[in-house]
Amino acid sequence: MQIDIAVLERVVAIVGGILVAIVSAIALKNDWKTPGMDNQVFKIMLALLCLGAVIATLAGVGVLGNFPAKA
Amino acid sequence: MAVATLPHGAAHDEGVDRLYDETRSLRLQGFLLFLISDCVLFSSFIFAYLYMRNSGQGWPPPGISRLDVAFASLNSVVLFGSGATMHYALENWKHNNFGRYAFFMISTIILGAMFLSGQAYEYTNLYFKEHVSWAGSGIFGASFFTLTGMHGFHVSVGVLYLIILFLQSIHGVYTKDKYFGLTAGTLYWHFVDVIWVVLFSIFYLI
Repeated sequence: MQIDIAVLERVVAIVGGILVAIVSAIALKNDWKTPGMDNQVFKIMLALLCLGAVIATLAGVGVLGNFPAKA
Repeated sequence: MAVATLPHGAAHDEGVDRLYDETRSLRLQGFLLFLISDCVLFSSFIFAYLYMRNSGQGWPPPGISRLDVAFASLNSVVLFGSGATMHYALENWKHNNFGRYAFFMISTIILGAMFLSGQAYEYTNLYFKEHVSWAGSGIFGASFFTLTGMHGFHVSVGVLYLIILFLQSIHGVYTKDKYFGLTAGTLYWHFVDVIWVVLFSIFYLI
C-alpha cells in the first residue's frame, strides 16, 4: 500500500496542531493569574501560539488554504 | 565534575542581588523595545508585500503555482510546538527541575533546527522544481524569499541563542531566582513563532 506523502503531512500537521493548541491553552490557563510584565507578554504570545496551532490544523484539514486548481 | 567558583563575600553577593533586582525591569523593557522594533521591521515588509499583491495581476502571478500548504502546515506545527516546549523549559527552570528543563530546551533546539531544515527543503523545491527565485520571479519571489528568509534568519539566530543559553545554564550562570537570560530567550522564541503565524497566513492561506 502506498501512502500519499501530502496526506501523511496533513495528518501529522492535524495531530500536532491539535496537540500544540491544547498544550498552549493549558499553559495559558496555568499562567493566567501570574503577575509581572514578562508574564503578561507571555500570555499574549501563548494566545497567539494557540491561534497559530488552530490555523495550522485548519490548513491541514483543508478548511483554510484549500484553493481550487486552475483550469 | 565540580565547577570551580570564585570566593565571594556576603556583601558582594548582596550587591549583585540588589543590582539584579534594580535592573531587571529595565532590561526587560529594553528587550521588549528590541522585539517591538523587530515587529516594526517585519510589519513594513508585510504591508509592502500585501500592497504589491493587491495592486497586480492576480495572485500568484501567471506561471507560478500555489505554495505547498500541506508541507507548510507541518513545518508550522513544528515551529509552534517548539514555542510550547520553550515555555515549559522556562517553567521547569522556575520550579528548579533541571532534568525536565534540559529535556524541553533540547527539544526546542531540535524542533527549531527541524523547522529550518524544512524551510531549506521548501526553498530547494521551489528553486529547482518550480523555478521560483528571489530575483527572477518578480514580486512573488522577491517578497516570499525576503520575508521568509528574514524570518529564517531570526530562527537561526534564535537556535544559536538557545544553545548558548543552555550551555550557560549548565555552567551555573543562572539560578532559580536570577534567570533573566532564559526569560529573554523565551520571549524571543515566542516572537519568532508569532511572526510565523502571520507569514504562514499571508503566504499560504489567503
